[in-house]
Amino acid sequence: MNGRTVTTDLLLGLAPIALLIAAWQALVSFGYAPVTLLPPPGQVFTRMIEQLLSSTFQQDIAATLFRLFVGFSIAVVLGVVIGLVAAASSPVNAVVRPIVRVLAPLPKVALYPALLLLLGFDHESKIALVAADALFPILLSTYYGASTVEQKLIWSAMAAGTPHHGLLLKVVLPAAAPSILTGCRIGLVISCIVVFLAEMITSTNGLGHVLVTAARTFQAVDMFVPLITISLLGLILNGALEGLRSYLLRGFPEI
Amino acid sequence: MIAGRALLARVTPLLACCGLLAVWQAAAIALHNDSFPTAVDAIRAIPSILGDKDALINIMASLRRMAIGFTVAVAVSIPLGLLMGRSRFVASFFNPLLMVIYPVPKAALMPIIMLWLGVGDLSKTLVIFLGVSLPVIYHSFAGAKAVEEKMLWSGAAMGLSAAQRLMRIVLPAALPEILTGCRTGLVLALITMITSEMIARQSGAGNILFNALDMGEYDTVFAMIIIVGAMGIGLDALFERIRARLVRWSEPQFDIPLSFS
Repeated sequence: MNGRTVTTDLLLGLAPIALLIAAWQALVSFGYAPVTLLPPPGQVFTRMIEQLLSSTFQQDIAATLFRLFVGFSIAVVLGVVIGLVAAASSPVNAVVRPIVRVLAPLPKVALYPALLLLLGFDHESKIALVAADALFPILLSTYYGASTVEQKLIWSAMAAGTPHHGLLLKVVLPAAAPSILTGCRIGLVISCIVVFLAEMITSTNGLGHVLVTAARTFQAVDMFVPLITISLLGLILNGALEGLRSYLLRGFPEI
Repeated sequence: MIAGRALLARVTPLLACCGLLAVWQAAAIALHNDSFPTAVDAIRAIPSILGDKDALINIMASLRRMAIGFTVAVAVSIPLGLLMGRSRFVASFFNPLLMVIYPVPKAALMPIIMLWLGVGDLSKTLVIFLGVSLPVIYHSFAGAKAVEEKMLWSGAAMGLSAAQRLMRIVLPAALPEILTGCRTGLVLALITMITSEMIARQSGAGNILFNALDMGEYDTVFAMIIIVGAMGIGLDALFERIRARLVRWSEPQFDIPLSFS
């Protein structure tokens, strides 16, 4: 992996995005799509910069991010703890396993009306939905990572005198870290998607709400802006998680 | 003993269902809230929904859209993912584009797609297709990338062409990973199905659910939640069975519990 291949890869990767934008522009300028339905890319991007500088839009982004982070953090804490404990103790496993089997494939969005009725229309119901959706990938990959830890590692740690309760934190958690972080990454993408959807269903602020308001008034330009924003947010968060991952896993062989 | 254990494995999810319903019932009685019916009330509302012809047609329409979107997405995504896994060129061509699209909620594209294609089946199926294809592409990509080089070399040495190697070595070797992606895709298909119908209130299970919510028919809301949940669990169980049959040879050691003794 030298500098030149990275640049070629980057150029190659930017090509389809550039092509897409070019095709978009072509559709508009050759009159295949009316401007009211498909605004030209230039207009969308200027509008986007305009919006990013306005304080109401910034508040919407802040609201979305707040829900996303709180929900995701709850999911990480619960997922890692339950996953580790379920892998370590068989009575807990016997209880958790069937419940997870039932709840994991359940489409959580369908639960959203119930959450709305129980927790109200404010932050809580959206945070609960994000947490519920991001929980299972994290839980399952933690469980998977923790139950495939090499038994020899555990025996060595025990032989070296690690106390029984220290094993989970000192051996199993670090050994399962790659798998846990993969789960977190999936959970993060799902959180991005779900927080947006929840805001589209009922909300008074947030990016999803911006989209719905634009759709109701047929402002096509304003409909593209929140979508591009959530995509950028997802990219930035993903990059941050990637950085965290390479920092945390610096001792591991490349996976 | 083995039969007993298999029986137990089959019964425990049912027990879990009953347990969750019991918790719900207890919570509903404890909270005593008008907008939170008890589990028994919700279950009692199910037959009236399933007996209603309109509702049944709606739910079938949802399932049909989901099946079409899912099938097309899998058919397109697996070859693309495999190619990405085996060719650096293809991978670096598509990767950034997919990374940009991944965090966009596909159902949120619904309002825009509706402007172009109308509120009919086409836009909803397209949204489901988009939602399913990304995880399937990613997992096929990861699976194809992890194929052992030696197997490919042996294949090449025995005179298989590149296309044959892809079909006969890469595809089977990546199959467990691909199926994991399909399973994620299945759950996402259900999510997108419900939300797309919620946004374009015209037909489908999501439409019934959110209309009931707007009209304050809380029994119907919770009954629909049970129905949609049962759909998810049923489809997942079915898929799991197919998966177990297809990749019997590579049963992951997932079931071995970690012991400290």
